[in-house]
Amino acid sequence: MGPLEHLPVLMVVIFFCGAFLMPLLFRWARPICAPLMVAILAAALVMAIIILQSVYQLGPQLYHLGGWPPPWGIELKVDLLRVYMLLVLFVISLWIFIYALRDLGNELKEELIGWYYTLYALLVGSMAGIALTNDLFNLFVMMEICAITACAIISIKEDRECLEASFKYLILSAMGTGCFLLGVAMLYMATGYLNYDYLHGSLVEAIALYPRNLLLAAALFIVAFGTKAALFPLHVWLPDAHASAPSPSSAMLSGLVIKIYAFALLIVFYEVFPAEMLQGVPLNEIILWLGSLGAMFGSIYAMLQTDLKKMLAFSSIGQIGYIFMGIGFNHEMALIGGLYHVGVHAVTKAMLFMAAGVIIYATGVRKISDMDGIGRNLPLTMAAFAVGSASMIGLPGTGGLISKWYLSLGALEMGRPFFVIIILISSLLNAVYYMPIVINAFLYHGEFQFRVKPVPRVMLATLIFGMIVIIISGVFSRPAVVLLEDAVSRFF
Amino acid sequence: MELLRNIADNYYYMVAVVLFVIGMYTMLTHSNMIKKVIAMNIMDTSVFLLFVSVGYLSGGRAPIVDEGLSAAAYANPLPGALMLTGIVVAVSVTAYALSLVVKIYRYYGTCDYDEITDIRSRE
Repeated sequence: MGPLEHLPVLMVVIFFCGAFLMPLLFRWARPICAPLMVAILAAALVMAIIILQSVYQLGPQLYHLGGWPPPWGIELKVDLLRVYMLLVLFVISLWIFIYALRDLGNELKEELIGWYYTLYALLVGSMAGIALTNDLFNLFVMMEICAITACAIISIKEDRECLEASFKYLILSAMGTGCFLLGVAMLYMATGYLNYDYLHGSLVEAIALYPRNLLLAAALFIVAFGTKAALFPLHVWLPDAHASAPSPSSAMLSGLVIKIYAFALLIVFYEVFPAEMLQGVPLNEIILWLGSLGAMFGSIYAMLQTDLKKMLAFSSIGQIGYIFMGIGFNHEMALIGGLYHVGVHAVTKAMLFMAAGVIIYATGVRKISDMDGIGRNLPLTMAAFAVGSASMIGLPGTGGLISKWYLSLGALEMGRPFFVIIILISSLLNAVYYMPIVINAFLYHGEFQFRVKPVPRVMLATLIFGMIVIIISGVFSRPAVVLLEDAVSRFF
Repeated sequence: MELLRNIADNYYYMVAVVLFVIGMYTMLTHSNMIKKVIAMNIMDTSVFLLFVSVGYLSGGRAPIVDEGLSAAAYANPLPGALMLTGIVVAVSVTAYALSLVVKIYRYYGTCDYDEITDIRSRE
């Protein structure tokens, strides 16, 4: 094994070390900051790929932090499910970072860019920690780091909207962590453990002794993760926060940060809570209904928006609803669909926010009604927007279709065709607000009214990469689906 | 009667839950931002109290191992250690929240949410 043994913790620590170095280097060796960040992100990605290989060969692995065995020490775990999340996380954060290199200078003051790198590294590292950890209290610490840095990459822009939005986000997210910690206390009171595997073992007995405590814990977890992942009706902070942030931050927040909390909910509900606990009370049913309400109302709110980024933000509420539906069905196919949507929506929404960022960079236009005819001036950007929209709607050839397909298959196999109708209606609603933008951009008869700056090549290259990934995820979905089948089969 | 006795025996849990609800209610309903931050702290503290009281053992000794004593004689040190981390986290969130309030105050000259909404609607 040798040094490879320590890869799981290195994937988190490398970011925290990088975050510590960035402000120093930005002061004294400014040119190496950005290449170093790219190197760190790429190194993490390589580590995740190596771990994927070793998980395929040797099966899931546990890592004891500092050599302390559980239940006392913190434990990290790598299995296929977590490695999938890590791969999504690192690929997309590297991709967004390359875009950010050009866009940040436009949105932030020069001297703040080093601090932005720090926050970015902390954010990615804490999300990797959330995905890897096998310990509830460690999860709490990582969630708090994630919450503070997620607010900070909004407020770093320092205009009025950003500050207000990030304060609102911070307060609601603090409410979420308060609820989470109370839930952890309930579980700790009943079992005396914080490690997922030990908890799972002892909850089977504890459920007969303290049914109310444990139900309260489950309810608190739904509220906590629901608030942080913008599950309808706990989504109120999201539109302002995601719309006012600098474009790379919006891409990061909408693409990854809300997903990681949905993923944490999935892990807690499927790995920690025993199946008996979910049978007595319709917890899954609650998640399922809230998810489908979110899928409907997110789209309806999005239709009413006039600001492009705000529309994209509301659309995220709808899309996160699909992921929660996948969790709530408690069926293998649907869970695969939900998890596939984690990846697909992360790519798609990040790309749409980047396209919006390019539009703002080149023309300064934010209102949807001002964008008529923009397709002739920014053809590549609007082509990317069109591909992204197609994936959001779930047109054939894009990743969005695959995740909705598996979700619907799961719903049908559970004998609940009603939810297939909900998925169809919300897809239709997606089409209602995404399609007019694309159509007006390309087919509008008049001229585009605003002056257009040339767009840097790096930005366009990142958009092209996004388009390719979306189309590959729609056409060659088999490898990822097989990986997910292996990953979730142990739950059923 | 038994319910009442249970409550009386575990009054520290009750206090923690009451504090939690006070904190949460104030945080969500008050329009003053400083009060929101204070309420956030009340809420966090209530969870810390609950956690620490889980590890408490009346008449228990500090967990420094002494020969000839069974494990049941010591108070559980783990919740205390965890809450130390929790306090650090809460302090950093508070510091960040207050710095945001300062910045917002510079823009609007108030830290009341309702007044800010008024100012923005008049613009």
